[in-house]
Amino acid sequence: MISLILIILASLFFSGIIIRTKSIASGRKGPGIFQPLKDVIRLFKKGSVYSKTTSFIFQIAPSIYFASIIMAIMVIPLGEYKGIISFEGDFVFFAYVLGVGKFFSIISALDTGSSFEGMGASREALFSMFAEPAFFILMGSFTLLTGHTSFQEIFASLHFGSYISYILWILATVVLVMITMVENSRMPFDDPKTHLELTMVHEVMILDNSGFDLGLILYGTSLKFAMYGALIANLFMGSFPLYITIPLFFGMQMLFAIAVGLLESFTARFRMNHNAQYILTLSSVSLLIFLGVLLILGQFS
Amino acid sequence: MTGIYLAGGFGLSALLFFNRNKIIRYLLITTFLLLQIGFTVYEYLHPGTTELTYFSADSLAILLLVTLTIISIPAFYHSYVYLSSKQDNPKHTAIYYASMAALLTAINAAYLSNNIAVTWIFVELTTLAASALIYHRRNNRSLEGTWKYVFVCAISITLVFIGILFLSFSLPQAGTDDLSFNNLLKKASRLNVFWLRLAFIFIFTGFTAKLGLVPMYTAGIDAKDKAPSPAGALLSSVLMNVGFVGIFRFYIVIANSPIHSWANHVILIAAMLSIFVATVYMTRVKNIKRMFAYSSIEHAGIIMLGLVAGGVGYYAAILHVILHAFVKSSLFFQQGQIYRIYQSKSIYDVGNYFKYNLTGAIVMLLAFFFATAMPPSGLFISEFMIFRSLFEANYLWILIVVMLLLTVIIWAFGKNIFKLLFTPAVDFKEDNIERINPAESISQFILLGLVVYLGLNPPQEFITLIQEAIKNLPQ
Amino acid sequence: MTNVLLIIFAITLLYLGIAHRLLTYIKILALQGVLLFGIAFIELIEINAANLTFVLLETIVIKGIAIPLFLNYVMKRNRITRDAEPFLPNFVSLIIITLIIIATFILSNAIDDSRISKIYFVVALSTLFTGLYIIVTRHKIITHVMGYLIIENGVFILSLALGNEMPALVNLGILLDVFASVFLLGIFVNRVGDVLKDVDVDQLKSLKD
Repeated sequence: MISLILIILASLFFSGIIIRTKSIASGRKGPGIFQPLKDVIRLFKKGSVYSKTTSFIFQIAPSIYFASIIMAIMVIPLGEYKGIISFEGDFVFFAYVLGVGKFFSIISALDTGSSFEGMGASREALFSMFAEPAFFILMGSFTLLTGHTSFQEIFASLHFGSYISYILWILATVVLVMITMVENSRMPFDDPKTHLELTMVHEVMILDNSGFDLGLILYGTSLKFAMYGALIANLFMGSFPLYITIPLFFGMQMLFAIAVGLLESFTARFRMNHNAQYILTLSSVSLLIFLGVLLILGQFS
Repeated sequence: MTGIYLAGGFGLSALLFFNRNKIIRYLLITTFLLLQIGFTVYEYLHPGTTELTYFSADSLAILLLVTLTIISIPAFYHSYVYLSSKQDNPKHTAIYYASMAALLTAINAAYLSNNIAVTWIFVELTTLAASALIYHRRNNRSLEGTWKYVFVCAISITLVFIGILFLSFSLPQAGTDDLSFNNLLKKASRLNVFWLRLAFIFIFTGFTAKLGLVPMYTAGIDAKDKAPSPAGALLSSVLMNVGFVGIFRFYIVIANSPIHSWANHVILIAAMLSIFVATVYMTRVKNIKRMFAYSSIEHAGIIMLGLVAGGVGYYAAILHVILHAFVKSSLFFQQGQIYRIYQSKSIYDVGNYFKYNLTGAIVMLLAFFFATAMPPSGLFISEFMIFRSLFEANYLWILIVVMLLLTVIIWAFGKNIFKLLFTPAVDFKEDNIERINPAESISQFILLGLVVYLGLNPPQEFITLIQEAIKNLPQ
Repeated sequence: MTNVLLIIFAITLLYLGIAHRLLTYIKILALQGVLLFGIAFIELIEINAANLTFVLLETIVIKGIAIPLFLNYVMKRNRITRDAEPFLPNFVSLIIITLIIIATFILSNAIDDSRISKIYFVVALSTLFTGLYIIVTRHKIITHVMGYLIIENGVFILSLALGNEMPALVNLGILLDVFASVFLLGIFVNRVGDVLKDVDVDQLKSLKD
């Protein structure tokens, strides 16, 4: 319960911090931190326009997308406090409920009949496909290391002793951050500010959405960011008491947002042909983490 | 004496490199040859001594040392003839002679070394020296040949080094850390089998670049093609023997260990593939020197078959090594004369050799008969013994396939040689042909004569030496 | 600590698979030299001091500094273009190198010798095969030399596995390294660049039957 509240709180200002960081890095003052939230509220008050070529899928997809994100958030723990949903193997549930949301957004993009959206949808599908093994191998390594299969138990019993576990921890953080960037379609895999449809990946999928649906999708992006930020923060939290974990959580989220902002300001997007191989690198690095875990455990089965 | 020889050899090579004066150059070369002959005589009279802890003159080393000395004298002479027939560029000539001297010194040291690591070092040095020789003409194609040679040999040397590493992994189980061949032989049955297998594969594959077997034979083909003929003679005779020494000494260790029959199978596959590859290419090749190079591969395959078969095959393999060195070098020396007459290495441009160079043509005819192992060549004796040993070891199908392949090789070789000797050349202008002094062919007659002599009526010391060399192999 | 360095070494192999520019290759080679310096320092701390300084100097000076500088010089002098020109797309290279690492990992389970640390074996063999793979799948001649240098790094790691007990082997490995760098680089790539106008492997096809 507590993690759900905290993540929703964090999502309120996450996008704002990112945009503010980017503005300050380019020498401007930039909009206020709550500006994205105000944009979303404005969108909620508007009506939607639905194209005649779309079917009911287009109308229900944003809601399903949003609902999947909320369900995924309910799985994330906070230190030693379980999420609302917690059972053995829940990280698989986490990945695939997000997958359901992504699937619906992809087919709603295809539903519009626009070739640009179809192109964006296929790219989105490809990148997510390559990032998926990375996530699973990473979680698999953690499962192997701690012997538990539920998020909360994994993070509660994760502790680091030897040199090699520190390097694996750092690698795992890097891989998770990169997976976040892939899943949220940010730099360096996708540029949210590009106006050219040929170079868009995620933005182009939502070109035809408007009004309440668009508001849901935009807020969903913030929620996803906060969710992944919570996941990464969990790697650092261990079993500290509550009065340490909550500030630590918010601190990490802010740090994460600033890091994302800086990353977006200073890197260019990879060439579209080469995007796939960089995402696959994540899977290979997580494979190395897996082999490293096997090394720690002393088993080479 | 080994120390004096090594210092003298490399020192003379360095002096040859810096010298630009003709008279001093011939003086240095004569000194080198005298040093070589003196060293060989010394080692012959003191068999079994170990000097500088790493060099011991066992019988195989003495045999190959004598072979090298006998071949090196005409090598220098023909180099002199070759270089004097072209414009004299002092720097290039100096590099040529210096690298030839360095090559011979390094090969001698590799023959004599009794430690696998020291053999490895000197084989590395031979690559360096040989590539300087191959690059002598300094045009595009010889650069290409040199680059390929250097690169493939570098990879092969790395493979041998990895094999040595694996070998050292296998040592602790036998409680030792000395890589000398004698020590390995003593502890052969106690070495860790898993690492020994890996070591054998890597060392064998690495040394096939020098010996000329599948898979690394490609280095040698381009090298022998592009090097000047006297250097090519050295590359295809004594340098191949270095590869043989490397494999043979390690094979003795393996033969006394549990993986003997597995290693035999590996060598058998490589040898069969080599003979097969040689057959395929011999039927298609149009360049005379490449044809000789592929014939070397075929002979290397036959030598390895002798090793695999065992029994009398061991004796035959070593006999074949020595005799093949003589025959192949005389072929390459003769090729130098052919090139001077026709100015081309292609089969299409040569012909009617009897008319232009009678002694040379007789040498060519005899060398062809001897190289394809027809009597009275000594190679006939050794190949016959190898076939007999294959039969006795129940490798009947191998024997049949090899004989078929050899027949095809004899046909391909003969087709080209008879075109060279008897058929008139196409579009060949007969004015301005260089007159070749018949005395230049004397060295080849001597070498071919040695092949007959050592094959049909070998002196007792020769037989004893070979038997000494193979005494550690299981009979 | 050596395990950490070896894992970072394996990551550099993956990075080799996706690198596009030759300069990146050179930087990776330099990084590998520094990593090997670290590993040699920690592993060989027990052998005698003179030998140890020699090994350490060699790794850092030759592998880490001299060879990258020299490669840079050769690239500028022969005006070699920036791209690495692979035959296969980088995506496939990445998959293959990952498969190589997995395969060597599985192979290493066949060893039941407790004295050899398996991670050395895995990293050394994967480096070796990656080096071979790079030689085979790149157009340019200079990438062949780089692939050879990567093979040498792999051989060096393998020799470090037994370095404490037989330092002579590590020295031999260094000798091999010096030979390759002086010879392959110092003489041939210079010459090859001078004579062959375009340093492309397609130029080396005229010697055929």
